[in-house]
Amino acid sequence: MMAIQHRMVPYLFVLPAIILLLVFVYGPAVENVIYSLYAWSSMSPDWRFVGFGNYGELFANPIFWTALLNNIVYAVVSVLFQVAFALGLAAVLQAGVFGPRLRSFFRTTLFLPSILPVTVVGLLWQLIHQPTIGLIDQLLYTTGLESLSHVWLGEERTALIAVVMVSQWQWTGYMMALFMVAIAAIPRDLYEALELEGASKLQTFRHLTVPGVRESTLIFTVITIFGAFKVFDIVWVMTAGGPNHASEVLGTHMYRSAFRDDVVGYASAVATVIFFLTISVGYVQLKLQRDHG
Amino acid sequence: MTVAAKSRGGLTPAHAALLILFWLLAGASVYPLFWLFMSSLKSSPEMFGSTWALPEEWRWSNYAAAWEAGISQYLVSSVIVTVLSTILVVFLSAAAAFALVVLKFRGKTPIYAAILGGLILPPEVALFPLFKTLNTLGIYNTYLALIIPYVAFGIPFTTFLIRAYMVTIPAELNEASIMDGAGPVWTFFHVHLPLCRPILASAALIEAMRVWNEFIFALTFVESESVKTITIGMMSFANALRGDWAVLMAGLAISIIPILITFLIMQRQFIGGLTQGAIK
Amino acid sequence: MKPRKIASALLISGFSLMALSAQAFAEVTISFLHKWPEPQNLAYFEQAVKAFEASHPNIKVKMEAVADEPYKDKIRVLMASDQVPDVYFSWSGEFGKKFARGGRALDITDAVYGSDWTAVFSEASMGPFKYKDKLYGVPINVDSKYMLYNKKIFADNGIAEPKTFAEFVAACQKLKDAGVTPIAFGNQYPWAAAHYIGDLFGKLVPNATRLADYELSSPADTIYTDPGYVEGLTKFKELNDSGYFNRGSNALSHEIARGSFSAGRTAMMYLELVEFGQLKGTKLEQDGWDFFALPGFPDGKGDQGLLTGAPDGFMVSAKSGHPKEALEFLKFLTSPEQGADYVKMTGMTSAVIGSVTKDTADAATLKGLDVLNKASGLALWIDTDMDARSTEVLLAGSQAILNGTETPEQVMAKVRETALAVKKDRGE
Repeated sequence: MMAIQHRMVPYLFVLPAIILLLVFVYGPAVENVIYSLYAWSSMSPDWRFVGFGNYGELFANPIFWTALLNNIVYAVVSVLFQVAFALGLAAVLQAGVFGPRLRSFFRTTLFLPSILPVTVVGLLWQLIHQPTIGLIDQLLYTTGLESLSHVWLGEERTALIAVVMVSQWQWTGYMMALFMVAIAAIPRDLYEALELEGASKLQTFRHLTVPGVRESTLIFTVITIFGAFKVFDIVWVMTAGGPNHASEVLGTHMYRSAFRDDVVGYASAVATVIFFLTISVGYVQLKLQRDHG
Repeated sequence: MTVAAKSRGGLTPAHAALLILFWLLAGASVYPLFWLFMSSLKSSPEMFGSTWALPEEWRWSNYAAAWEAGISQYLVSSVIVTVLSTILVVFLSAAAAFALVVLKFRGKTPIYAAILGGLILPPEVALFPLFKTLNTLGIYNTYLALIIPYVAFGIPFTTFLIRAYMVTIPAELNEASIMDGAGPVWTFFHVHLPLCRPILASAALIEAMRVWNEFIFALTFVESESVKTITIGMMSFANALRGDWAVLMAGLAISIIPILITFLIMQRQFIGGLTQGAIK
Repeated sequence: MKPRKIASALLISGFSLMALSAQAFAEVTISFLHKWPEPQNLAYFEQAVKAFEASHPNIKVKMEAVADEPYKDKIRVLMASDQVPDVYFSWSGEFGKKFARGGRALDITDAVYGSDWTAVFSEASMGPFKYKDKLYGVPINVDSKYMLYNKKIFADNGIAEPKTFAEFVAACQKLKDAGVTPIAFGNQYPWAAAHYIGDLFGKLVPNATRLADYELSSPADTIYTDPGYVEGLTKFKELNDSGYFNRGSNALSHEIARGSFSAGRTAMMYLELVEFGQLKGTKLEQDGWDFFALPGFPDGKGDQGLLTGAPDGFMVSAKSGHPKEALEFLKFLTSPEQGADYVKMTGMTSAVIGSVTKDTADAATLKGLDVLNKASGLALWIDTDMDARSTEVLLAGSQAILNGTETPEQVMAKVRETALAVKKDRGE
């Protein structure tokens, strides 16, 4: 009796977690793929099997390609700021260029934007981007740089970049803090050794810091790219993918298809593509991790 | 800074340039918030009319107006959803981690893989199917509609985190309590949970942050104003107040004051917890 | 003898007690969703609900309000999740028809026509809520769109109310040359452009063709091919390219644009009759303002007397558990007393006949309603009259036209393509 009890108990410990995952995480993912093989709308009850028809429509849809391209732009810019730039900033702070109080102050202030809810960030920056009366335009006008002014969120050429930059504003400090922890893990005596040899700060950075955080850099890059392909909220709040789909990303395209255009099968196909892309990125990460030990 | 440079007693050009850079970055990070708070105390025409100036008179009435317009309801919903989700996730993940690390049973590897597998699934992919499922279960548009998916999606990472910590607990402790005749349940509650307090706190913080700011599920799974969390409630709020910018600013301010105050007081723990967890 | 009397007395009182308590327990709650969360309008609905609950002790009304733009999303989601409120707001035209077609709206033809309720509304305001000759909704207000202008600016620049579209363009040019921004325009939510475009379509495309196209009943080879469509988009584009709109319209909200108009900084703005109340106490009011219907084209193939506007109203869910109570509430909301209160408190023009009078509304509103009643017909808001997908394409296209990234021909081609696809999906 006791033996049986003891044998069942471990399963009871993991059962709730497994059940929740199956019903609410894996189940829907599978359902999503099934949905993508049909064409239907949520208003009417009839389903039509279309096989890969939705995917065909997807690949033929210029909006899909715009969205995909925008996600790629997002990924590239994000890696530039949230990995490369953040690493540099972290290295400077960790190198003790400033005193401890200043270092702490900078870390806190740069970290601050990342704790804000995305709605607040989006609405606030929407107002800052307002044509003529917004902070940015006002700044440009008073410094005589009006020619640089654009209708940031209203022009097709600038809408995406405006949103992407707001994302960088929000997360670069956070990534910098992460890198600071990673750099701190590098043994101090290695730094002292280089210092004794007379290496410059820049050389130290290139030859000790960067390789020293290689694993973290890899993970952070993957996470950043991941995030760039999944992005939905900040875009939705600031532009809803507009104007005229200029800032559309895969996430907003999927949401709009499901809940506005009412073509649920197609939307599921978009979601499956997002899934496929993120799996690929995850797979690449696993491979690279294994190769580098 | 090397001793040599310090004794020179001056700023090198590089040092100065870096200092300027950081001050600019710090300013860029903080100024929008400063503007938010200043604007919330102005009148609407003043907000865009004299953007850079301090408010003429400090209109605390904007805050009262925002509060009455329904912010309080959103905050309550957010608190309920966040607290319940966080407690559930940490508890269930700790239980799973405990079983995986301490207990012996068949199927550990596939079960652990199944739990971790949840990490690669982006929530958006599950959005519409979950929407339909929640409807079928009859819990759409209730707090449960948010809590359950949040817990489900939070389990992979939290389990991973707690397990990584639990692995460092000496195995002798397990054996000791089992030799005393205690069952696994007792051991879990009286030995492991207390020992894991630091990581549980970090995990709770990470989950709480994630849930509080979560957007797409909150947008899709609840509709009534009485159930909306603050993240989405702000959108309805902004739409209703399209004319009265200053009150909107006050509303935004109210929604972030709790987080800001908590953050500023507990900076160390906050940044420490969030970064430690993420590094792992 | 006596015991039987006592027994029957007891029985009767027992039954009446049960009936009474059954009544008390039979408290019904109906859900009510509308699109006016703005404090001023919300106040009216709150007092209406209170008054109704006071006079109907068994019925409780659970009210929710969501603003205009998110409303379109919310009602779609609610439909998809089978949580339709008992009484819900709907625009007329295709937007409402979609509910009727999907079996989501209660057929209230008999409820309205079969009682004195029908005397409260004009036929014209009920028409847009009909589908296949059956009535599915009742109007709460009637609305139309006018080009408002600042009298002082016009006078200072010697401009008179234009009678044709060409005169209108000339007036804009004169204002621009004098350094005044001619038209305030905020197209962050592209329904604003849609209203211009809808009006132009109404005046340049033959009416029967236009309505058949919107409804998707036109044959596949002619749908959306009338040259009037491209002409309409071109005229709209010209207004923008000639610099008559304020800068950055695609990123400006309608409310911010209205703010600059009411502050006296722009000469004109295309506004709805129900927005007249928003201009009280502003600099514009001091300068004085008036309005004209957007003028037409002497050789336009559409109906030059068409006014852009529509009734807005409410529907009852076909699946409502309490249709009787829901209809009670609706009838109450559209009673003459409530109609008058509606006009007084919100400034909007109630659809209830006789509610808009000198006592309840100001001169401008009365004039606006008068012009509406005299129009040869209403061109309904195009973004609620075309099917959802074609509308999305047209709206996105309007923003592209404003940015100069797409031509009118390209946009109409896309609309035609989408309409054909929707036709196919509907199996027509």
